[in-house]
Amino acid sequence: MDLNLLAQLTVSGVVVGSSYALLGVSFGIIYATTKIFHLAHAVSFAAAAYGAVWASSSLGLGFALALVVGLVVGLAFGVMIELVFYRPMRNKDATLLSIFLVSLGISVAFPNLLQLAFGPDNRTLERPGNPIYELGPVTITRVDVIGTVLIWLLIAAVTTFIVKTRFGRSITAMRTNPVMAEAVGIDSKRVFTVVFVIGSALVAVASLIQTSKGVATPNMGLQPTLIGFIAAFLGGIGSLWGAALGGLALGLLSSWSALWLQVDYGPVVVFGVMFLILLVRPQGLLGKAAV
Amino acid sequence: MKIRRKDTPSQTFSFPSVDVSRRSVLFGAAAIGGAAALAACGGGGSDKGSSVSTAGVNSAQADGLNAIFGPGGKEGGVDVKLAAGMMLAVTGQGSFYGKVMGNGAKLAASQIKAAKGFNYDISIADHKSGDVPAALSGVRQLVTQDKIRVLQTSFGAPSEAIVPLIAQNKLLSFNGGGSSPGQAGKEYLWQTRMIFGDDPAPGGLAWIAKTYPDAKKLAIIGTQENGVAGAKTIGPEAWKKLTGGTVVANEQHDVGLTDFSSLVARVKAAAPDAILTFTYGDDVGYLVKAIREAKIEVPVMGIEFTEQGAKIAGAAFDTFNFATDFYSPDNENPWNKIFVEGHQAAYGEPPEYYGANYYEQVFFYWELVRRVIAAGGDPTDTDALQKALIDNPVFKSLYGGDAQTAGEVTFNPEDHTISKPMGVFKVVGGKPEKVADIVKVSSTADPATALV
Repeated sequence: MDLNLLAQLTVSGVVVGSSYALLGVSFGIIYATTKIFHLAHAVSFAAAAYGAVWASSSLGLGFALALVVGLVVGLAFGVMIELVFYRPMRNKDATLLSIFLVSLGISVAFPNLLQLAFGPDNRTLERPGNPIYELGPVTITRVDVIGTVLIWLLIAAVTTFIVKTRFGRSITAMRTNPVMAEAVGIDSKRVFTVVFVIGSALVAVASLIQTSKGVATPNMGLQPTLIGFIAAFLGGIGSLWGAALGGLALGLLSSWSALWLQVDYGPVVVFGVMFLILLVRPQGLLGKAAV
Repeated sequence: MKIRRKDTPSQTFSFPSVDVSRRSVLFGAAAIGGAAALAACGGGGSDKGSSVSTAGVNSAQADGLNAIFGPGGKEGGVDVKLAAGMMLAVTGQGSFYGKVMGNGAKLAASQIKAAKGFNYDISIADHKSGDVPAALSGVRQLVTQDKIRVLQTSFGAPSEAIVPLIAQNKLLSFNGGGSSPGQAGKEYLWQTRMIFGDDPAPGGLAWIAKTYPDAKKLAIIGTQENGVAGAKTIGPEAWKKLTGGTVVANEQHDVGLTDFSSLVARVKAAAPDAILTFTYGDDVGYLVKAIREAKIEVPVMGIEFTEQGAKIAGAAFDTFNFATDFYSPDNENPWNKIFVEGHQAAYGEPPEYYGANYYEQVFFYWELVRRVIAAGGDPTDTDALQKALIDNPVFKSLYGGDAQTAGEVTFNPEDHTISKPMGVFKVVGGKPEKVADIVKVSSTADPATALV
């Protein structure tokens, strides 16, 4: 085995997997709490990127401020979808399937809105240089280092918030037994709103890291959303660390498969392993089996 | 008993036995319907351009076109209306290309109309950036509803998929955006760009061999969609003949890949002296960026340049070379100047490669209409149009030429491909600069002769 190649693939896998982990946590916290298959998560992802690009190109804001605007825009879109679409539907006793269809419709329509507003061209964010660090045979960029560290800090912060704070425990209560949670006075509307704030903010961060080293395009949101969904299910619904682990595992598996196979076989390996894991542990890596 | 709350989803939900109310279904249906409508509004579906506008086309442009192509009026086909279809990536990842292709053709239609030429009546179908079923249904719609007689198609896979429809309906078709060997020699289908990747590859490699004489180990990166022969046979054989060297890596990736870190790590492990890539569109921007981020500092030869790819790669693209039939808006040829001026006026930006190809195609049709009219035939009969093409396969072009005369391109009536001027280019400040002229060579010829 080529150890240099293994080292580089491991670093690349951690970078990509960390991004998947954040997507998994962002999707997982919303799904586990609200049971909504929030495909319109893609909207927050794309909106954050376009918000930052717009702030940079139209308002002339610097890189850091543009990222802040992007974060707020991505978060705002996520919360707006909950308040404008999902909540009224729940109030009318809409089923999860019909809410999912609405979410699907939004995720299909939004890229076209973006295309109408900004055109189909790739949009770039004015950004500082991105130095490359060499550690023996391994290379990594500054954005990847900062992004990876930031992602795990955010995941740790969110999980700590959930476990250690009173409101976090309300979220856990709402996730595990919503009827009982409401019976003891937990405000489900408030909990759902906060969950959408957290999930949308996390996916916005993932989007901004990606845009900081690439471009914004109207269709950029759907694939990361699906990755987030896969990571969350692989890790175990209801476990944020599980979703993070699922994402990291996806990234590492995908990267390590290049040790032996061409990269276009990567998805086959990843989904093959995922199938085996879910066959053995249907509840996911860290999920709890249904009683 | 099932307890349901106003603000939480039913916890008894399970997919096989969904409790669906009529109102819920209507909610979902409305959302999907709205999304579909918006998708169509966003450029998908069909875009009927029955009335060609000449707004923005000045009389100098029209006079210039008449000087190049001949007078308008009856012999220019002013009374002829040709129902034309365009199958483009209106939505999806490649929608930028659909936009510029459509813009090019619409500009050509309006300029020709201003020059008192034929009425090129465009309807557009969306193949959603390469989706074959969408392409098939789109062309069927163009044929049955819009009664098209000619078709400007794009992309490789969807264009190969519609080959039977083109033949069955005798649609005289041009493809200038995804030419592949699988489309060569097909009835009524003609390529208006060099065969993607395959034709320029020997010339590009010859330039590397000459410029970097110590390079012996080549890595090839490609996709399974376009330039397959170039990656599998043409490139490796040419490299062996040119340098006596070997191909140390031959990697394929899915189209649309954005994370090339694993692929590039494999290439780096093979320690190549040079890289030849058939990656195209946005992907090549991500690839070149990843190559340089991995500190691979060998020359990289590609087969396409796009502004979109340059945006993605940033400064890394200034280390990139490519070999292709590249269109330059700076070309002094008088027709090209009219095109650039018109494009700038209509869209506020200079044209690029794909816009140029689809603009040029409409003028090919105009020239064919003129020839059929001159011969006393029916200019809407695609058999007559194709016969006119085969009888004289030489056409004026935006490519080549000089300050006094338009360039020329020649179709090959045998395999329906085209010969256009090709070159090797470097990228400076994000803009291409030609460094050498190259020509197509046969598989048995010395690839070094591809470098002029």
